[in-house]
Amino acid sequence: MKRVLLQKWTLSLFAAVSVFGLAACGSQPSSSTPSQPASQSTPAATTEPAAPKVAGTLSFYTSQPDADAASLIDAFSKKYPDVKVDLFRSGTEEVISRLQAEAQAGQVKADVLLVADAPTFVSLKKQDLLMPYTSPEAADIPAEWKDADGAYTGTKVMATVLAVNTSKVKALPDSWKVLTSPEAANKAIMPSPLYSGAAAYNVGVFTRQPDLGWDYISGLKTNQMTVIKGNGAVLKSVAGGEKDYGMVVDYLVARAKKDGSPVEIVYPKEGVPVITEPIGIMKATKNQEAAKAFVDFVLSEEGQKLASGLGYTPIRKGVAAPEGLYAQDQIKALSANIDELEASREADKKKFGEMMGGK
Amino acid sequence: MASNWQTVVSERQMGERRKFAASLSMDKAATWFVLVPVAFFFVYPLWKLIVLSIQTEAGLGLHYFQEVLVNARTWDAVGHTVLAAGISTVISVVVGVALAWLCAYTDIRWKGAIHAFALLPLLIPSYVMTLAWTQLAGPQGVLNRAASWVMGSPVELWNVYGLDGIIVVMGLTHYPLVYMLTLSVLYRIPKELEWAAHSAGASARAVFAKVTLPLALPGIAGGGLLAFISGLDNFGIPAFLGIPENISVLSTLIYEEVIGFGPSAFARAAVLSVLLGVIALAGTGMQWVLLRKSRVDQTSAEDKSIRRSLGKHRLTAEVLVGGFLLVTSLLPLLSMAATAFVKAYGLPFVPENLTWKHFAFVMFDHAGTKGAIGNSLMLASMTGVLCVVAGTLFAYWRIHKPSALGKAMEGAVALPYALPGMVLGLAMILTWIEPIPGWQPGIYGTVWLIMIAYVTRFLILQVKSSTVSIMQVGKEVEEAARINGGRFWTRWRRILLPLYAPGMATGLFLVFLTAFTELTISSLLWSSGSETIGVVIFSFEQAGSTTYSTALSTLIVGAILLVLAAGSLWKRYWQRRIEQ
Repeated sequence: MKRVLLQKWTLSLFAAVSVFGLAACGSQPSSSTPSQPASQSTPAATTEPAAPKVAGTLSFYTSQPDADAASLIDAFSKKYPDVKVDLFRSGTEEVISRLQAEAQAGQVKADVLLVADAPTFVSLKKQDLLMPYTSPEAADIPAEWKDADGAYTGTKVMATVLAVNTSKVKALPDSWKVLTSPEAANKAIMPSPLYSGAAAYNVGVFTRQPDLGWDYISGLKTNQMTVIKGNGAVLKSVAGGEKDYGMVVDYLVARAKKDGSPVEIVYPKEGVPVITEPIGIMKATKNQEAAKAFVDFVLSEEGQKLASGLGYTPIRKGVAAPEGLYAQDQIKALSANIDELEASREADKKKFGEMMGGK
Repeated sequence: MASNWQTVVSERQMGERRKFAASLSMDKAATWFVLVPVAFFFVYPLWKLIVLSIQTEAGLGLHYFQEVLVNARTWDAVGHTVLAAGISTVISVVVGVALAWLCAYTDIRWKGAIHAFALLPLLIPSYVMTLAWTQLAGPQGVLNRAASWVMGSPVELWNVYGLDGIIVVMGLTHYPLVYMLTLSVLYRIPKELEWAAHSAGASARAVFAKVTLPLALPGIAGGGLLAFISGLDNFGIPAFLGIPENISVLSTLIYEEVIGFGPSAFARAAVLSVLLGVIALAGTGMQWVLLRKSRVDQTSAEDKSIRRSLGKHRLTAEVLVGGFLLVTSLLPLLSMAATAFVKAYGLPFVPENLTWKHFAFVMFDHAGTKGAIGNSLMLASMTGVLCVVAGTLFAYWRIHKPSALGKAMEGAVALPYALPGMVLGLAMILTWIEPIPGWQPGIYGTVWLIMIAYVTRFLILQVKSSTVSIMQVGKEVEEAARINGGRFWTRWRRILLPLYAPGMATGLFLVFLTAFTELTISSLLWSSGSETIGVVIFSFEQAGSTTYSTALSTLIVGAILLVLAAGSLWKRYWQRRIEQ
């Protein structure tokens, strides 16, 4: 009999916990209460009396790190207190998959999208999911980093750099070629283009440079380059000393270095592939005014200073870069035709997979 | 061996005997009562996936199947998947059954600690688990460096990267499923049977092979199935250990396709998911074949007394089990904790580099943590309660009304657990954003969708756990209650529930813990205000804040261990009070 009692006790404990959980859930503020009624009666903002009212809810899908997205929304909400921003943050791949599933069901819920790289947006533009909008704030952004039709605009400059473990490597290299040289044999690591859009972009750019090309990739293979899933894993491997050299996005290295990890950033002399974390408005948006206001804010001087404060190189001319990173006009960007990159991405990935495969 | 007190009854025979008792209309009502929800919650999302795989630009067709099936990489991945899931299941079964037998029957000491540590592989995030394994057995790992030191020249004893590493790590991550289910079945096997066989001259080995093993088969087969389908859906281990060696399995190939973009990407991912589903169903079929030989016996109460004294081997067994748990559970936990204590990732683990600040940050400064713990607690509890009710009723119906339909439905319930979380998440979006054309229930984008997805995904854990106990309760018990005039509700409350409780509790426990630490589905389906623990850990990891993600994981695992320890102390105290 006593065992039966015990089991009953276990069951009732779980029931109690669940009831407690329910109560906790109920006490949270509901996430879907728009606040227009209150704003209707107040007079329009004094600065732009003619502008339509910016209010309601705005659904924002992004792959920015959690804390960065949160401070962006905070700053935006201070300026537009009547807009309630609903955030969905995940990896670029997860965000795009969710968006594609919504599109498949004919129910796109996002208003504004901000994810890693331009080719992703080119593809969405092709599927006619984006609404063209040329922000007045985009004037100060170089033409190569925004779409001519206004479907998307870059928001920051993220270079893929060489990360070096300083406790293992004493003489800092200055060229991408170090990865194909004997000193980096079996000691280098890079993110796989098969599992990350940004990494696929990098491979596309590298292989379209006259002095690098597919020969460079083949050299990496010969030099026993390790391929892994994700930039985070690359940085971890270099910071942890498992590998000496890594091909990785700059802000991760700058952050780790600032925290005290034994890593250093190298901008190779050939130049660096640059992704711009573009922002775009979905065609299906139900709140155009708020979406436009949000895009304007991200590209404005205030928004760009915020990005710099969070550790990213701003894309707008004249806004200073954070400590440890190059400013946007100091970076020598390796470039390639975005449309071509988008069109040949699958083929590039396949070729890379075949080249790196077969140990 | 005397067999007059043992009856070998096939599922079919049992069902036929049962039929006279229940009226036909009740039977039909019960079938519909099960069929409709299963069709809506399980078959319908799977159907959406299948539609996706056959929808081409020119209408319905097998174009994508053709495209995927002629690709050599697909068959490579299928081969790797079958090998990885299959062999790792064998490892899981051997380890799980051995550990369960030692804990249930022998006089091995420290059972509470063994039990707690044996659960750790389920709780520690799989990327932490794999990272720990690479530190142990990677090319530069402890094992190979030690071997090189002993030999005086560089040797590579074993490298964890590659298919063999995937198999071993998977097997040692999923064995707790077998262990849990087998443990609850072992306690129920009457020791008189073993004694009888023993006194009839059977050796210890023969008793184990001819009595214990067949009687424990429901638990072993159920746990084995769970380990198998866990191996199919596992993404973290093959992604980490396979990609550097260019080895892909179906789950990584599906991920590759899903993120591959373009209108055909989902279709090809859906085709691969269908292949994965076929393998999962084959595994389920294997389990039925095994269970056909299972013996249904007279019902007996749980018996936790010591049945075998290990004698002079006890210390050996304890050292072996201790060493095993040290390597597979304690070291990964410690390496995770060590990362969380270091000021910045990569710094050596020396006193001046250590700090509490990461723990303080995730507990007190990070805005999302408290809400996420609350959400996960709520989600896991509700999922647990829903599953324990629905899963037990389903298992009861499945065993007492055996039919081809029942088998098909069990397959449908098992599939969501075998599919990669990403695919199930997408199927959930496609299903619940507009379940019926023109009807949007408003569930999408709320915490309720995550809960529905959890129930869909984890119900099979409960079904298999409850099945174990239900199969061990003979039909005569319920019939006796019926003859004595017990009504339906009385029968369940007074007789059946207490007898089914061990399996139900095992399932509740498994569902609760898996849902509590779940990562993939919630990272696809969460929305403002419904962050889960998994989402927060994933965010830290993606922002490169490994120290924060490991700090939070360590806190969660530590809290669960504390609760387990408190539970076991309370149990001991309670038993002592009863005994007095």
